[in-house]
Amino acid sequence: MSSETNAESDMEYSEDDCSYEDYYNSVDDCDSEQVDFKKVDPEHHMLDCLSVEEVERLLNESVEALCNELEVVPSLAKVLLHTHEWAVGRVISQFRSNSSQLLISSCVKPAIPPVQHQENLTYMTCPVCIATHPREKFCSLACGHMFCKDCWAMHFEVQISLGVSTGIACMAQDCGVLTPEDFVLSLAPRPQLREKYQMFCFRDYVKSHPHLRFCPGLNCNVVMLSKELKAKKAFCTQCKTMFCFNCSLDYHAPSDCNTIKRWLTKCADDSETANYISAHTKDCPKCHVCIEKNGGCNHMQCRNCKHNFCWMCLGDWKAHGAEYYECSRYKENPNIANESAHAQAREALKKYLHYYERWENHSKSLKLEEQTVQQIKYRINEKVMTCSGTWIDWQYLMDAAALLAKCRYTLQYTYPYAYYLEPGPRKELFEYQQAQLEAEIENLSWKIEHAETTHRGDLENQIDIAEKRRTTLLKDFFES
Amino acid sequence: MAALPRRIIKETQRLLQEPVPGISAIPDESNARYFHVIVTGPEDSPFEGGSFKLELFLPEDYPMSAPKVRFITKIYHPNIDRLGRICLDILKDKWSPALQIRTVLLSIQALLSAPNPDDPLANDVAELWKVNESEAIKNAKEWTRKYAVEN
Ligand SMILES: [Zn+2]
Ligand SMILES: [Zn+2]
Ligand SMILES: [Zn+2]
Ligand SMILES: [Zn+2]
Ligand SMILES: [Zn+2]
Ligand SMILES: [Zn+2]
Repeated sequence: MSSETNAESDMEYSEDDCSYEDYYNSVDDCDSEQVDFKKVDPEHHMLDCLSVEEVERLLNESVEALCNELEVVPSLAKVLLHTHEWAVGRVISQFRSNSSQLLISSCVKPAIPPVQHQENLTYMTCPVCIATHPREKFCSLACGHMFCKDCWAMHFEVQISLGVSTGIACMAQDCGVLTPEDFVLSLAPRPQLREKYQMFCFRDYVKSHPHLRFCPGLNCNVVMLSKELKAKKAFCTQCKTMFCFNCSLDYHAPSDCNTIKRWLTKCADDSETANYISAHTKDCPKCHVCIEKNGGCNHMQCRNCKHNFCWMCLGDWKAHGAEYYECSRYKENPNIANESAHAQAREALKKYLHYYERWENHSKSLKLEEQTVQQIKYRINEKVMTCSGTWIDWQYLMDAAALLAKCRYTLQYTYPYAYYLEPGPRKELFEYQQAQLEAEIENLSWKIEHAETTHRGDLENQIDIAEKRRTTLLKDFFES
Repeated sequence: MAALPRRIIKETQRLLQEPVPGISAIPDESNARYFHVIVTGPEDSPFEGGSFKLELFLPEDYPMSAPKVRFITKIYHPNIDRLGRICLDILKDKWSPALQIRTVLLSIQALLSAPNPDDPLANDVAELWKVNESEAIKNAKEWTRKYAVEN
């Protein structure tokens, strides 16, 4: 919207805009059926936020179960579980069918027969420190590679200081046999070092466990537990970080993990090309007065000539009704294959900028709308203080703002996905849904910014429609 | 400086008494953990006729950590970069405390005989080595003559 955000200027031109009334009427079939979004929410994801102690308990249950079943010591059970994604059942069945093969593939036993030593030796020379010590100063793993205990201790010291824990192997060249926990703990001399080692092991165990994820929030110790191993929304109740359970990046539906990684890399690589986009002002396409964007809504109205236009494409806003919304779609040149290399490069850049501009714009709008929420809070407070309504009466406005943020977030992440989609019916359908969501969100945003002059029922209806569009788009994504 | 571990003393003695053919490694007079190394270019390699200076340093926690080795003489090789750093697995993740200075130097010598452009450190060199080997070998010979042959 325009730079004048005070209530009076909003009043003048809010109700009589017919362009959004039009399509509003066209979707009134939705408002009769009230939907419980928790039931149909395709993003719904059963998650638990666990503390370190709770995770330790959980891991120990698996370790104990394996120890009881196979009659092995806990530190061996840990190696087996760590190398097999903590699948207790699978480890048990593999152990029963061929224990030797399991131990070799878990790097507990060497693939070749172990080194034999003469039993009666009283002195031995350590191949690492080249010192001769009594036999009892030596020990080895299942591979039989003997080293003195001092050298083992030094080896652990260096490895742990490098952050290695579950991956510490035998010192012999090309011997990959792993050192189980009890072996390290019995030979590492310093308590501080042992503590560090156990901390690193814990980190490795969580990382090897497919159902566990560290919360990526800064200084947050929460570990998330999920039964579903999908690119679904994870929300940390402790630090309020929202991330993708699969890849731990910012949550990114409907883009998949690979797409968002490629997209973010591309944006970082092309940041200079895209920099000029970050303009906050544009000229009114009709009277050429300079307009500043200080709200999240793309539906702009010129404060000078009252022309309604779109911030993204500078086209007439009337052409942005739900059925005709074309602003989000990039129209590729069908003849591009026959053009010169230079023209193709220009087209590729144009295409990228189209998507980047919209991605970036939603991200900015999200921030601007945060400010709008603060303004709404302030205005509600004023109203309550002057006895026009109670907090409960105005709660719907806050709900609308929260939903707007949610929808805009999803919409932002539709653009990387659309960028990489191959042309075809799937892309057409996706861009149709994207356009519909885009239109509903801009309507919602407009109505929230003009909250004082929008009927409550009107706004509540708009919330329903926008959320319905969003879940439809996501449902297709999660089902594919 | 802390006393020199027995292991380093033993290795140094052996390096001096039974040197590896084509390699000399002499400890620095003021620092016994620092070695002046000269590797002669292997026969039938583009580095033949050159003698390449390297520095080798044994870190405090040697042999638990690998020695640090670097070419001082400029060399045109896909696994050695402009700074003389060497891409060799036993100097990194494949290091074992049971390996020795001797084995490291032998591996470097072998790397000169058999460059491995599929595991490159110097990308442009590796690229040329793959697409136009004869051109790359020509460059390597030229660099050897220019930088590794004493006049
Ligand atoms: Zn030893
Ligand atoms: Zn071993
Ligand atoms: Zn957190
Ligand atoms: Zn992801
Ligand atoms: Zn205007
Ligand atoms: Zn537009």
